[in-house]
Amino acid sequence: MKMIKCIIRPNKVDEVKDALAKLNIAGMTVTEVRGHGKQKGHTAIYRGKEYNVSLLPKMEVEVVVADNMAEDVVKAVVQAARTGEIGDGRVFVLPVLESYRIRTGEKES
Amino acid sequence: MLEAGIGDHYWMSLTQPGPGASTLVAAFESARSELEAEALRGAGGRAALERYSDRIDAMLRQLFVEVGSPDVHVAVLALGGYGRRHLCLQSDIDLLILFGGHIGPTEERFLRAFLNPLWDLGVVVGHQVRELDDFTRLETDNPEFLLALLDARPVAGTRHLFDRFGTLFHTAPTHGYILKSLLRLIDQRHSAFNGTLYQLEPDVKEAPGALRDLMATRTIAMLTDPLLLRRGPADPARVDQAEDFLLRVRSTLHLDAGRNQNVLSHDMQERTADLLGYPGAEPRQRVERLMSDYFRHARVVSRSLAWARKTAPLPVGPNLGLSRDGVRFLDPIQAARNPASWIAAFQAAIDGGADIAEETLSCVQQHVDRYRADDFFPDAADREALVALLKPREGLYARLTEMHDCGLLGRLFPEFQAISWRVVRDFYHKYTVDEHTLLTIRNLERIAHTDEPYRLRFRNILASVSEPELLVLALLLHDVGKWRDDDHALESVRMAKDVVDRLQLVGDARETVLFLIEHHLRMSLAAFRRDTEDPEIVKEFAAFIGTEERLKMLCLMTLVDVEAVSPETLTPWKEELLWRLYVDTYNHLTQRYGDELIERNQAGLDGLLKQRPDDLSAVEITRFLEGFPQRYLQLFAPEAIYRHVRLARNIHPDEVHLSLERNESVWTLAVATLDKPFLFSNICGVLSSFGMDIIRGHALTNPNGLVLDVFQFTDNERFLELNPDAHDQVLHVLEDVVSGRADVTDLLRGREQGVLQSRIALRLTPVVRADNEASGRYTILDIVATNALGLLHRISRVISRHGCDVDLVLIATEGEKAIDVFHITKGGSKLTEAEQQALTSDLLRTLEGL
Repeated sequence: MKMIKCIIRPNKVDEVKDALAKLNIAGMTVTEVRGHGKQKGHTAIYRGKEYNVSLLPKMEVEVVVADNMAEDVVKAVVQAARTGEIGDGRVFVLPVLESYRIRTGEKES
Repeated sequence: MLEAGIGDHYWMSLTQPGPGASTLVAAFESARSELEAEALRGAGGRAALERYSDRIDAMLRQLFVEVGSPDVHVAVLALGGYGRRHLCLQSDIDLLILFGGHIGPTEERFLRAFLNPLWDLGVVVGHQVRELDDFTRLETDNPEFLLALLDARPVAGTRHLFDRFGTLFHTAPTHGYILKSLLRLIDQRHSAFNGTLYQLEPDVKEAPGALRDLMATRTIAMLTDPLLLRRGPADPARVDQAEDFLLRVRSTLHLDAGRNQNVLSHDMQERTADLLGYPGAEPRQRVERLMSDYFRHARVVSRSLAWARKTAPLPVGPNLGLSRDGVRFLDPIQAARNPASWIAAFQAAIDGGADIAEETLSCVQQHVDRYRADDFFPDAADREALVALLKPREGLYARLTEMHDCGLLGRLFPEFQAISWRVVRDFYHKYTVDEHTLLTIRNLERIAHTDEPYRLRFRNILASVSEPELLVLALLLHDVGKWRDDDHALESVRMAKDVVDRLQLVGDARETVLFLIEHHLRMSLAAFRRDTEDPEIVKEFAAFIGTEERLKMLCLMTLVDVEAVSPETLTPWKEELLWRLYVDTYNHLTQRYGDELIERNQAGLDGLLKQRPDDLSAVEITRFLEGFPQRYLQLFAPEAIYRHVRLARNIHPDEVHLSLERNESVWTLAVATLDKPFLFSNICGVLSSFGMDIIRGHALTNPNGLVLDVFQFTDNERFLELNPDAHDQVLHVLEDVVSGRADVTDLLRGREQGVLQSRIALRLTPVVRADNEASGRYTILDIVATNALGLLHRISRVISRHGCDVDLVLIATEGEKAIDVFHITKGGSKLTEAEQQALTSDLLRTLEGL
């Protein structure tokens, strides 16, 4: 199993969700996050004064999929979340060792 | 002509001839003899004193008739104890001679003619002379006089003068001041008696529990709650008995001493006990009985006063008192008949940081269904009071909730009633629609006072909104359309139109409220669902919102609306997104508008051309507008634009065309002229030289060199109001300065020095920032500094000295803070890095030296 962790623009969540739904992926975790990548945010000016906005609001979408699905999911996310501008985000793929369903205690394969 | 005798037996017609001056002495002596005889029988109590007062009244009226009338209306009023008809044998006769107009020589003659015979009689007259206008302001240096005025009673002269005096004098602030003074005077007086009524030789006027305390008790009740004493510790009849007793004792003291002597000394106790007919074989027994009665009565008075002081509500408005349980109607029956006064109760509660008393809420609840919305705000003052009530501050949510609970809110705004307890099932909302709405207002109220660091930025926005009550009105109505299940924003705005019609909101205020309601979801959509890092999205949003004021309001509306959905809905993450969109849009509105010029086929131009007045041609309007920023169309209403077109007609170099208008305390000056160096600086300088405080403004230039500057300012010295030729004076000075015939620096010199000396207000560290990125055509100068007279003149003079052209300017003030954005060029181009550096350093030096 793989966990696909995507840091995307907040306005791209719906498109990413739709793309994942097309791959029959229903379960996901969506979290409001703040951070920065290479661009390290930027400085905003308001009434002549500088405001540091280095931590930019982003959305984090996490899904866990079978190993053989991971590549398709990554492609779908990249396609849905891309604008071509700086700040489009990142996708991370992590190995998942084990997974349990809390209600039943059952181990999932 | 004087009038008198209008339905009042104390008044007599001046045309009726008096019995003659010679009978004055006889009348006075006869009245005194009668009272002396009563006092001798121990019966110099209330009834005797009333008879004596009436006879003095008659004597004064006779004198008044004999003296003849002065040029202006005059009334003679009895004050203090005489006003209450408790004039004692040796008391001063306290009078107010009140003139309806200016006191001139004939009035002075009248005074001498009226007062001299009284002095000749040996009467001690305590007289005050006033013109009616003196009562338009509160005299705070003589609280005893104010107290005496509470007992004012007309004796002779013009009746309606007394009525007008009553209207001027009996106001809530005056009553409040008198009450405060009275409580202080009581404390001072009591401390002179060591705070105890059990004096072996009591002063029957001044001592604790004596006559002054009795009057103080009644005065407190009169000023706060006329029904107060009915609920007091002593039956009012027992207080009356105490009064009669004390007056009878006082009469014997005056009789025996032959002067205004009020101490019941050991010697006088025997004599008084005898006169009052106390039984007992020995004088000691008779004295003990007298003093035992005295202490019994004094204790009744003392307890009543203590109770009144503890219980009396503070007067906080007409028929309104503030008690420990909150603001309440003093006379619920009167309040029930006057629904327009109910808003004042809620306003007083907010002002005083108090609740509304339960009994007041019950009174409103019991009667509210008798009235329609219009009954609560029948005239303009009531409508303004209702809108003013909505200013976001501590207590507003609690009061609105009370108004809702007792049915008042739903009567004031039947549209709001439609969402009462309304349940809309969705995944997000956790409260009924009415409560969600009220919570948005609570959230706004909290922002106004927040100290949370990450919220201060929103608090600052709220502090800078000029009419935040309009935002609250929009919040109150933003979801009323949810009584239906379809597109609620459109339904809300349809219903809100009825409300703004009833409140007779017009112009910008009306448009702003409706705009906010119709588009209350627009900013959350843009902030949370669009890519706000995309400059096109920001540009589109800025074009939609139009002005900074609307942006501020919609930003706050979005914030508090999202927060009121559920405790979890508004996250710091969302706040950050909203803030970023706000800043980017604000910057776009203030810094980039110079790049977007009005073109021939500009959207919105059609309407302007179609509705144009007959004297303006489409070509003239189009030519005028060409080259001005598109923002101009959003800033000004069509009527103002037409005025500007006329101003710009046939303009020649050195000519200045101006229009000057007033809207309440704010004046608007529009100046059209042709561009030249130092122009903006000179115009600002001229305004400052007349003492005008510029609060908002826009300076616009088009490529043909036409300059249109529109300033809003306050005329704190009332120069324009008080001088009929002020308009021409301003115009002449402007022309002289613009054409170089006069130097504005000379005009300003004296004034600036005065300002520098007088202004030690809190100072901001000035901010000056130049930016070449924001606009395609201009260098943008952002300046934030402490507002001061002549500030704009000095800033723009420095800019012009650096050889820069001022092309566009936005001027705003928020309290003491001036926020100015200049769009400048040098030789038609943006400034170089070095030029920017030199200019900003010079500007900072100028601002820091202020």
